[in-house]
Amino acid sequence: MTLHIVNQSPFSSNALQDCLENFAQGDVLLLIEDGVYALQGEFFRAIPGARIYCLEVDTAARAQEATASAKPNVEVINDIRWVQLCTQHNPIVSWFR
Amino acid sequence: MKFSLAVYSAPYSAQSASSALRFARVLLAQGHEIYRVFFYCDGVQNGNSLTAPPQDETDLIAQWQELQRRYHLDLVICIAAAQRRGVLSEREAKRLEKPAANLADGFELAGLGQLVDAVAHSERLVTFGG
Amino acid sequence: MSHSTIALCRTPPYGSAIAREGLEAVLTSAAMEQEIDLLFLGDGIFQLLDHQSPEEIGQKSLRRNLLALPMFGIEQVLVCHKSLRDRTITLDQVQIPGVEVKTIREPGTLIAAYHCVLSF
Repeated sequence: MTLHIVNQSPFSSNALQDCLENFAQGDVLLLIEDGVYALQGEFFRAIPGARIYCLEVDTAARAQEATASAKPNVEVINDIRWVQLCTQHNPIVSWFR
Repeated sequence: MKFSLAVYSAPYSAQSASSALRFARVLLAQGHEIYRVFFYCDGVQNGNSLTAPPQDETDLIAQWQELQRRYHLDLVICIAAAQRRGVLSEREAKRLEKPAANLADGFELAGLGQLVDAVAHSERLVTFGG
Repeated sequence: MSHSTIALCRTPPYGSAIAREGLEAVLTSAAMEQEIDLLFLGDGIFQLLDHQSPEEIGQKSLRRNLLALPMFGIEQVLVCHKSLRDRTITLDQVQIPGVEVKTIREPGTLIAAYHCVLSF
């Protein structure tokens, strides 16, 4: 199962869209940096039931905490959980442009 | 677990350069091993000793150096990418007849083979770009 | 676990250095006899187009590097079916002599089977 890491806003980059088109059953999505702005849209319909995480520090920095908590399928995680996700999943694919 | 990191972003241009540093720090604090950090593309600027951020901003290069000293990290800058972007060791500066060298202590220049080697010897590769 | 690697080539040539530097990493890997596959997707598809003439923008043809793939033992490349279709590019526009170009309809399943993924 792949861990997909997206760090670009879906409003300015194809990174998230490309990621979702390359998403397999059981894969996991982590939003970091500008990737957390995906919380402002309805992008996750393409991957129903998938586990979606966003990084706490980046979510807080960008005023997305309330948006994140309003999404039932999104979990806000700290840096230690980020490392854990990386140990629990392989391969790790970064979508950065 | 044995990790390697690939860093493609320049410090102060993209957040991913500082995300890589933060991730490395958490990895090590959690008891994981970093086999190598390979700086490629614009990421080679992370080894530029001439960066001079204002006092109230994070000195990313100094923080990589500190982490390197503490954990004996293998911080490798791609030599071909670095030459194009003006990050040179004393030896390279002399060889290429350039007026100055600026490779930061704690980093070393090496070929792309070091990325291939990192992939072959690590259980995980995490890429930081953008 | 398999130690095989796949490189995702998602960026167009010339506008940034990443496509070229990515390809250099792939060729280095192949030269060191490591198992590496290439998947062209998104704008990376544009790397494959024939008749690239970047001389007037001061660059070397990236396509020429791709033509060297068979010399490095890479005899197959994968291309994303949907990425081709989205860009109205046909399979005959992305051929490399001596290399089989194979279209992939479910790239996610493919990627998940690799040990390591390089992104360029």
